[in-house]
Amino acid sequence: MGNCLASNSTDDLTLLNGRNEGPRESIDQEPVLQFQENVQPTYSQVGTTVHQSLTEDEQIKIAKRIGIVQHLPISQYTHENFQSKKVPSECDICMNDFVVGDSIRYLPCMHQYHVHCVDNWLMRSLTCPSCCEPVDASLLLSSFENV
Amino acid sequence: MSCPAERRLRKELLELLTNPMPGIYIDEEKVAKNINEWIVTIEGAEKTIYEGETFQLQFSFNEKYPFDSPTVLFIGKIPVHSHIYSNGHICLSILTDDWTPALSVGAVCLSIRSMLSSATKKERPPDDMIYTRTCSKNPKKTKWFFHDDTV
Ligand SMILES: [Zn+2]
Ligand SMILES: [Zn+2]
Repeated sequence: MGNCLASNSTDDLTLLNGRNEGPRESIDQEPVLQFQENVQPTYSQVGTTVHQSLTEDEQIKIAKRIGIVQHLPISQYTHENFQSKKVPSECDICMNDFVVGDSIRYLPCMHQYHVHCVDNWLMRSLTCPSCCEPVDASLLLSSFENV
Repeated sequence: MSCPAERRLRKELLELLTNPMPGIYIDEEKVAKNINEWIVTIEGAEKTIYEGETFQLQFSFNEKYPFDSPTVLFIGKIPVHSHIYSNGHICLSILTDDWTPALSVGAVCLSIRSMLSSATKKERPPDDMIYTRTCSKNPKKTKWFFHDDTV
């Protein structure tokens, strides 16, 4: 029997993204509003700092992440890809069909997505959206092999 | 809301309307008015403790969907379940930490329906009283601890 304990706290990413209470589309992007209903007043301080400027550590983290993502292979979706049944015909992120000429990024697990779709996700989480396989670990291994 | 989120939501809607999933019904009228707010009715599955009951889920999407998870909660009559708080908040990892853009409204509904189906006892989470008194209105602001995904 599971018990579902929850503690009321906000993660930094949530603050970073500027989410807020209630009907989101109306007051989105207004960090001031978003903290009024929180019980712990410290949130607002944390929230505004995160929102306004990234710390050096965070900047390094983002730079590293960009480096990893840039090393993932890209290729154009070809007519052969389109005809072969081996390559999926759809990007699982935007749910649109791949069109010949689209730039496709290949993850180490061999799942593939539009470059613009998957890069957006990888900046948040270095995992494959479909199989949750981590992207960085295997990359590190392969770069060791290349040395 | 920017275009990509809306385009994807329209794709999902079309897919769910053309290939409906058993026990899961979309309020088309509501979605037609506002693509960012969905009401989905979930039927308790046969031969489970929720058989014969129906519940409503509210999905809210922001412009970063599907990179941001939707906000999902029960509204109206809240199912009595050890992972569902009496204010409608749901303790389910794919709604926060384990969300990926390859998931969808359909996948979330399926997962919530199976969470209901696997329950053997109707009871609220042990910390229901405290949680509902102190939590934020937005379940995504809760830092959840997922103890057990199988119940
Ligand atoms: Zn795509
Ligand atoms: Zn994968």
